[in-house]
Amino acid sequence: MSNLITLTIDGQEISVPATKTSYDPLGKKKVEIPTTIYDAALELEKKTGKNPIPILCHREHIRPVAVCRVCMVDVGGWTLAPACYRPVEPNMKVQTAATSKRVETSVKILTQLLMADHPSPCEKQQKHGDCELEKLAKDFNVPPSPFAKPAQVKPLDDSSLVIAVDHNACILCDRCVRACNEIRDNQVIGRMGKGYKAQIAFDLNNPMGDSSCVACGECMVSCPTGALTNKSVAIKSDASGDGAKSERITADELKKLPLFEELSRPFLSFNEGSVVRRRFKKGQVICVEGKPGSTAFFIESGKVKIFLQAPLKHVKSKKGKDDQVDWGIFGLIRKFTTGLVDRAADHQDGAAAPRFIPVDAPVSLRFDNPVATLEAGDIFGEMSCMNNYPRSATVAAEEDCVCLEMHRNVLYILQRNKKSRAWLDERYRSRSIENHLRSVGLFATLFSDEAQFQHFVEQMRSRVILKQYTPGEPIFHQGDPADNFYLVRVGFVKVSQDRPGGEQVLKYIGPGGHFGEIGLLSHLPELRELAPPGVRTASCSALDHVELVQISGADFLQLAEQAPQFRERLVKIGVDTLKSNEDQRKKLDGVPLGNFLQQGLMNAQSLLVLDLEKCTRCDECTKACADSHGDITRLIREGLRFDKFLVASSCRSCLDPYCMVGCPVDSIHRRDSREMIIEDWCIGCGNCANNCPYGNINMHGFDELMPDPENPSQKKAYVQQKATMCDLCSDLDGQPSCVYACPHDAAHRMSGEEMLNLVQKGSKT
Amino acid sequence: MIVQELIAIQERCGYLPEDELRALARRISKPLHSLHEVASFYPHFKLHPPKKVEVHVCQDMTCNLRGSQHLKRQLSALADEINPEQIEIKGVSCLGQCDYAPSAVAINDLVYRGLTHDAVCAKVRAAHASELKPQAPADHGSLGWKIDPYNGSPRYDVVKEFVKSRNGDAILKEIETANLRGMGGAGFPTFRKWSAVRAEKGPVKYVVCNADECEPGTFKDRELLRRTPHLVIEGMVLAGLITGATKGTLYIRHEYHDELHAFNHALDQARAEKICGENILGSGLSFPVDVFISPGGYIQGEESALLEAMEDRRGEPRNKPPYPTVQGLFGKPTVINNVETLAWVPSIVKNGGAWYRDGGVNGAPGMRFVSISGDVNKPGVYEVPFGQTVRQLIFETAGGMRDDQKLKAIAPSGPSGGFLPASLPAAALPPKFVKDRFPPNAQAMDILDLTLDLQTLKEMGSMLGAAFVVYGVKCNIVEEALNCVEFYRNESCGKCVPCRLGSQKLTDILKEVLAGRGSRAQLPMVDELAMTMSISSICGLGMVASNPMTTLMKFFAQDLDKYLK
Repeated sequence: MSNLITLTIDGQEISVPATKTSYDPLGKKKVEIPTTIYDAALELEKKTGKNPIPILCHREHIRPVAVCRVCMVDVGGWTLAPACYRPVEPNMKVQTAATSKRVETSVKILTQLLMADHPSPCEKQQKHGDCELEKLAKDFNVPPSPFAKPAQVKPLDDSSLVIAVDHNACILCDRCVRACNEIRDNQVIGRMGKGYKAQIAFDLNNPMGDSSCVACGECMVSCPTGALTNKSVAIKSDASGDGAKSERITADELKKLPLFEELSRPFLSFNEGSVVRRRFKKGQVICVEGKPGSTAFFIESGKVKIFLQAPLKHVKSKKGKDDQVDWGIFGLIRKFTTGLVDRAADHQDGAAAPRFIPVDAPVSLRFDNPVATLEAGDIFGEMSCMNNYPRSATVAAEEDCVCLEMHRNVLYILQRNKKSRAWLDERYRSRSIENHLRSVGLFATLFSDEAQFQHFVEQMRSRVILKQYTPGEPIFHQGDPADNFYLVRVGFVKVSQDRPGGEQVLKYIGPGGHFGEIGLLSHLPELRELAPPGVRTASCSALDHVELVQISGADFLQLAEQAPQFRERLVKIGVDTLKSNEDQRKKLDGVPLGNFLQQGLMNAQSLLVLDLEKCTRCDECTKACADSHGDITRLIREGLRFDKFLVASSCRSCLDPYCMVGCPVDSIHRRDSREMIIEDWCIGCGNCANNCPYGNINMHGFDELMPDPENPSQKKAYVQQKATMCDLCSDLDGQPSCVYACPHDAAHRMSGEEMLNLVQKGSKT
Repeated sequence: MIVQELIAIQERCGYLPEDELRALARRISKPLHSLHEVASFYPHFKLHPPKKVEVHVCQDMTCNLRGSQHLKRQLSALADEINPEQIEIKGVSCLGQCDYAPSAVAINDLVYRGLTHDAVCAKVRAAHASELKPQAPADHGSLGWKIDPYNGSPRYDVVKEFVKSRNGDAILKEIETANLRGMGGAGFPTFRKWSAVRAEKGPVKYVVCNADECEPGTFKDRELLRRTPHLVIEGMVLAGLITGATKGTLYIRHEYHDELHAFNHALDQARAEKICGENILGSGLSFPVDVFISPGGYIQGEESALLEAMEDRRGEPRNKPPYPTVQGLFGKPTVINNVETLAWVPSIVKNGGAWYRDGGVNGAPGMRFVSISGDVNKPGVYEVPFGQTVRQLIFETAGGMRDDQKLKAIAPSGPSGGFLPASLPAAALPPKFVKDRFPPNAQAMDILDLTLDLQTLKEMGSMLGAAFVVYGVKCNIVEEALNCVEFYRNESCGKCVPCRLGSQKLTDILKEVLAGRGSRAQLPMVDELAMTMSISSICGLGMVASNPMTTLMKFFAQDLDKYLK
């Protein structure tokens, strides 16, 4: 017990110990620090029930910085002293605003200065009525501020999924800075700039959502004003079936679950309603493939069945019988029927040889039997939740089960909180890794027997690292030293190369895909002439919220050394990819027309080109296309004009094949010839059709008889959507109907190069 | 090492690319925000690629009075004419070349002083053509000052004597007798500062020489550093040896190229002669001296902000107490003295404290260096006795008023003391001062009769610094006040509310006044704001930031009233 010091505050005597026990910033070590005037005022408050000293930048549990100056008191000097910082001294005579005119004026002016710049009522005041600055102004009866408002309004930072940042409401009290760096040791928030232009910043002044912020919520809880507020989202369930009632779960209840126990209680309280508990009866459907979704499900107890109900088929047009040939006004019209066929009946050229279909769950589904069971502890729906992708599969209760349905803000925090992250990682290692590795095409054909594969899984189990990336975040740059190999678990990765004139996207890699092998293998003799050794040949970045499984280069190479067949396969992939990239680059290098390039025309294998001098706009080409493909046209007679030619909208195999992004089941691919193909396991969600900037992908509905999910023993008719795109009528007779139908010899199919030659020839003559 | 690492990156890359910052953070295991906090705080650091030609035009006080706004407009027109994409014209705070006003500019970090406007334009053209050459170094010869007992040839007699006698008490006694006070403006007795640090136990202590001379109108340390660097070094070594400090550092503003060069040259010599470093003159005593180049900003002159910069943080002043004598650099007891303060020590010890004390006139003790600029014929740095009258300074020392103007105002401490009028009204001064200093029943006093010493100005409620800026009647004193208020707004670090917001609001108010939108009714509120800033700011900057405004209201009410409704 240290010595007592007696002082007076506004004439009232109080004795306090000279020092108090505190903790070092990270709460690990006890330290004795001097008792401050504010501490003494708190002691006095215990007796009188009143504390005459206001505070904004100070709280008892944090290191005082004395920057807001509203706690200034008169201790007899010419200047005032900050009560939160100044140690008590024997016989100190402290005067607060209650007894000192100087202090009263100071509190008033400081509050008015802050209020002049404060967007009153701020977000916090509007939502909860507890903005500390506005409360101070009210408590001290501060008149409206006579000072000018700031000339500029700063933009809001809305990038974090859980915290909204409004710099206009920030009073630079430093509480979030200390919360982030000292209370939590997360080391993200600092102050930037100087003087009146100073503000808080994340990392290198990155948007909060792109920074290393782990979304612990401590800053938000610390903020006295509406500068850092919670983006709480009340859950709107995606679960179908009204039978599954939602039950609200309190923060206390959540804290008892191991997955949630380390999340900050204030955050969970703020976000109460973002996690609900749902109980499903056996057979009840939880979510339906192709439908929009924005939540993830954590299975608390019971089992669910995850499966694809769409038929594993693709769209196919068949030539009609001869008697169905009609003579139209301008010429021969061919009749076709369009339907769905499966791969056994019709092998698509260039179609992937599927073994597994990736879905938004810790399992991939076997192509030959796309059903799997998920059990307690599993999370599914992460892709839909983080990136708003449609549901990739249908999930129904296999037995009575209880799920926690959560919103993005909560999943986001789970992924970023150390303890929860560790829990999720462990879950992946123990539960999902085997299925994941098995489903990766690269590994699929590698192992001759199951024992070998199991050995491989065991080797990898402790070595894989899960890594999260935010939208736009680079994973590595072209030219970087190659260090790791990656498997994509969640989200899409953009692979691109720097080219003269800009970036060219090579491909998008979604769940089930892998990348990074070329840089690790380029020292091998087979690849030596194609790529510089040991460096990345392309840049990879996260297109949305991405989770990767990282395997270190050393482990990967060890694997390659151990298994000669693996090495061989990798070499082949590497050589093919590099050669294809090189071919494309050579082709592009010769093209002078920037616009031509940008529009993706150069890559096109077969453009529909209309000679506008001959075309009468009769639209027979469009009609023919519709007639050939079940009344759904795959081309629109509009598009880019070059010289006297019009390139009609039909798939042009763009440089940046954006349609490939976001297919929840990885069913849209490029053929070797770079044209697009829709695989059999399309679930008809329509994402690719929405993504195509040229409107060249269409959804086509087919009546199908399907097992009724509510009543599995019966079949039910419903419309199954499938994506279609121009295939040049290659499934017919290779003669595109549009060209065939044109009565004026205006429609031609040609490659990008041929088209360019035509345009250039035209412009010369 | 953040500050020095950032300086190295900027030298290599021309600015601070984000990739480099991320790499540095990994290399030195510091969080990104700690790098960005520093990089975004100091004016020297660039977070974006600079234009080919960056022209920094001094916009403060003397330069403003002598037409720097006109120069800036002329340069902007030139930039537009050549290539605005490649040339940036920017107003910056005082470059410490006030005696060369109207032109003090830095082009691509090279300082040019005393050029005509047309010559500055020619320099900008040369820079754009990549043919810019530095200006010839300023003269660094001895001027026969009393402060230099060696007359320009570094002999370090006092250090040599001390390592033999080891009599620190004797030296302290002379300093006490001399009544040597801090020459940076605050006037704290040097004897007490040294004694306090000397009394601190503990193996590690520091000496810091504050050569971050950024107060507008102040440039006397510039001359001392360049002409008598050996005195500064000897002062630092003596401070170190007497207080038992383990290391000395000169903290110098980055625009003082010639001065840094002169100091480093002298330091190399001193090291070679074993005046500093390990085992001084074979005595077994050690006191290494090095140089820390400031990344910029007026606030760094505040001693605790300076320490923060040396500790790789944002240069924001600390709450005091504790004072640096107890917890200074890295939490250790630290002597921080101004350049001039340390430079006086050798002559005081050599000639005796009484010699210095008796160098003053009109009853004031001591001698000092003053930087005179503004509307005078011979601006420059002069060694003068304390207690000289304003008349002597202007008409004898500085050659009289420029263009034979009448005197409008003086600023005896740069912007921090505000303005004093040609005629001091009794009504606006403390009664005791009027009673002691005014002739009986006089309602006013001619400022030319005012003696300039710490005590007199303190008694009249003003302050005496090393600047002495003279304003003739041709100036618009309200516009000059706005210039000073803007200076503080620009240089506020932003740490505490009264200074950060108050300096901005004062600027807003005065701009409104000049635009004819001010009202007399708001003057009491301005007084309250000024008082709040004075009594509740963390450091001296916030405390004095309102002085230009309050002295304008107090002494130049008629000038101000023309604008008010």
